[in-house]
Amino acid sequence: MSKRVSNTVRYKYPLPIHPLDLPQLFVHNPISWAYWLYSYITSYNALSNKIHVDITKHNNFIHIEVRDLADMKYLWDRGFFGTGQLSRSEPTWYEQTRKKFQSSSDGKSNGMSLERVTKLRRKQRVEFKKQREIVEEKLLQLRREGNLTPEQEVEILEQERDKLRKFKDDQASLHIMDQDEDITEQENKRLLLQRSEILDENDNLLNLESLQLMPVETIFLSFALPILDISPVDFISKCCLTDISRYSEDLHTLLIQYAAYHHYRSHGWCVRSGIKFGSDYILYKRGPPFQHADFCIMVLDSNCSKPYTWYSTIARVCGTANKTLVLCYVERLETEEQILEWLQRGQLTKVFNSFKVGEVIYRRWVAGRNRD
Amino acid sequence: MTDLNKNSNQPEIDLEEDEIIQDWSTVSKFTNDNPILSIPKRGEKDYEPDNTNTQEILLYRAQKAMFDTLENSIRGTIIKNQVKAYYIHDRHVGWIPHAKGNFVQTMGETDKEGTLWLHYFEFLYLAERGTITPFWKTNNGIEIPLSIEDLYSFFKNQKEMDDFAIYGYLKRLGFIVKSTNDCIISQNKLSFYPSSVSKSHCINILQNITSIFNKTYNSLFNGIIFSQWHFSHMKYTSSPQIYMSLNRLISYNRAPNSVKELHHDYQFHSGNIESSDKTLQITFNVWKPNPTFKKKFPELPDFQIVTYNKNINDQKFPTYKDLQHLFQSLNYKFNFLMDPANSEFWNRNTYINDIQRQKILDDIDNNPRNKGKLPKKDTNIPENSTNKKQKPKRELPPHIQQLKRLKNGYRSFLLAIMDNGIVSFSKISEADFGSENVWYVPPADGQKKPVNNRKRSQKNKTKT
Repeated sequence: MSKRVSNTVRYKYPLPIHPLDLPQLFVHNPISWAYWLYSYITSYNALSNKIHVDITKHNNFIHIEVRDLADMKYLWDRGFFGTGQLSRSEPTWYEQTRKKFQSSSDGKSNGMSLERVTKLRRKQRVEFKKQREIVEEKLLQLRREGNLTPEQEVEILEQERDKLRKFKDDQASLHIMDQDEDITEQENKRLLLQRSEILDENDNLLNLESLQLMPVETIFLSFALPILDISPVDFISKCCLTDISRYSEDLHTLLIQYAAYHHYRSHGWCVRSGIKFGSDYILYKRGPPFQHADFCIMVLDSNCSKPYTWYSTIARVCGTANKTLVLCYVERLETEEQILEWLQRGQLTKVFNSFKVGEVIYRRWVAGRNRD
Repeated sequence: MTDLNKNSNQPEIDLEEDEIIQDWSTVSKFTNDNPILSIPKRGEKDYEPDNTNTQEILLYRAQKAMFDTLENSIRGTIIKNQVKAYYIHDRHVGWIPHAKGNFVQTMGETDKEGTLWLHYFEFLYLAERGTITPFWKTNNGIEIPLSIEDLYSFFKNQKEMDDFAIYGYLKRLGFIVKSTNDCIISQNKLSFYPSSVSKSHCINILQNITSIFNKTYNSLFNGIIFSQWHFSHMKYTSSPQIYMSLNRLISYNRAPNSVKELHHDYQFHSGNIESSDKTLQITFNVWKPNPTFKKKFPELPDFQIVTYNKNINDQKFPTYKDLQHLFQSLNYKFNFLMDPANSEFWNRNTYINDIQRQKILDDIDNNPRNKGKLPKKDTNIPENSTNKKQKPKRELPPHIQQLKRLKNGYRSFLLAIMDNGIVSFSKISEADFGSENVWYVPPADGQKKPVNNRKRSQKNKTKT
């Protein structure tokens, strides 16, 4: 479990803007005072170089990408912003591929990526299910023959179950050793083919992956914590396609989505896209490597009333994933004209200040389980 | 007092009724710990055809046992035990002249003459169960027996029918369910709030002023924070400081979470709780099964139910404003304040017709006429003492408590959804993420991080 320790170092800062790194202050030592004061005056919170983002538009969709490897890592490590396009969420494609090439040439791999762990687990699960099917088939065969009393059947069932349990335990202990086996002949061939596409003339691995940011993340990183090299107002108008002279549905949605995003971010949550659970956001207490998300957030306008099926569908999905569904109602306190005027003048603070958030938890309730 | 006297007579009558006990022993043989020897339970998924007759035989045997048992049972009502109930069409209620049976303890209202008055849904429920025999009494005193079909035709509208289905569902599960409004003979106002709460206005004005002040202060402050150069000239020495400068931008609705705040919220909104036919309203009070339930002086309910038919076009799922109205009109054992089992706390905070429940109970105890009832009180005492035994509960660590608060929310009600005869429930609770801070504080580099002093925020300790 050496990984835990490295996590605390790696994810030390919860936000991409750091607090000042001041030296220790000894009350009785005047030199430490002077040094502390010097550090305090010379250091500042802002980043020295802003992070470059590429914004491209394809039809109705906007792509916000960070391409620099170091920047990608910076944004992921400090607050878990963005999603790697070729990975599960953390941009690990480059490392994965590098390791893969290394292991295919050296014949050994160092460490396993999370994606491979999942793959392996799924494989083991399939194997286990096959074993179980065999057992069930066997039992059925016996039952068909008809010379089996219920008591005998129970006994056999218990025996087989023990065997299965043992099989599963063995699988778990084999977990680490199993890792190299899935690089087969075919896989090697595929790798060779891939190689030509992803290496440059000098045989260096090209980074094909970029970190994609959600529009709300982009606003947060350019407006609340200005570390991206874009202007938030320009970005908002770009997002809504039409210029911001009209209070469109798109604009309203973006504004309430951001209000909710900022609300949770600013109270310390790690907010990430909830698309995997059919919701707008999911809230991690610290971040994906540390624990599962406990909450699914659906952002709604405060006057919104959807058909009942909509609520029950989402609640069911979130419930199965063991998450609490929060309906986050955002209320607009000012008129549309007022907000547009502020937007045009670039006063985003006033714009977002005129939104108010209210939350409601929606949960399935079963009468039989709440009697005592 | 009449109903209390009745209750004390009740056990003897019950005994007689219960003497004819159905013999279920043959059927109960089929409930076995061993899954192979017992019939699969409803809803169990491990059950599919396997081309053998094992399951079929098992089902057949179980069915036969059930039929055999039922065949030998006694059918019909014994005249002596028959409870005649009458329906009054003009008032759409039922009444029983001399009610006897367990149901009297939890259902209807008893007047001074000892007549039990029943809401229509209660009347129909009892008739359906066979507990009472429904009649229509004509003006010249002729009793016409009513069938269940007749009774169903007396429903006034769809909502009443939906409410009945939901009532019946909960009732059959053992809950005590009562209507929140339209009492038949007396207005019994059960409330968490004493009426004196809704009088004073000074505090409202004061609150308005402070809220305006806060708003201008925040907007001034935000103007400074969210400027491009802000992080070049501000000096933040810890992450919490950065978070706190960020979290003033978006205002949020605070959920009242203490007795004081609830009272405050109540008086602030008591004037503008409007109601129309379109908006949803609290229909039922629900108590968990409780043998010491007092019909005349009930405790605050455990749940409150809003009924909603998903297929009626003009009934919309509540918007946020509707939800807030519902939250403000709630009156139940707010379980985030105190464990619902703490009867001492709840008796002090329950008002029946504006009189504290504790006072009512004390009066009953002190009344010399009730001295003979002491054994009845005894049943309460062990319950209290067990509560006290349970009290020293393990204090959970602050971050777990916080997570619990976030997950459970505060005021809540149950939405009972009717969809073509199928009832399902969802619990809707007020949440408050704005009052909780969960940020991660990096291990200090030398100095201690300041603990923020906002009222309800807990410093997060994810790392242990």
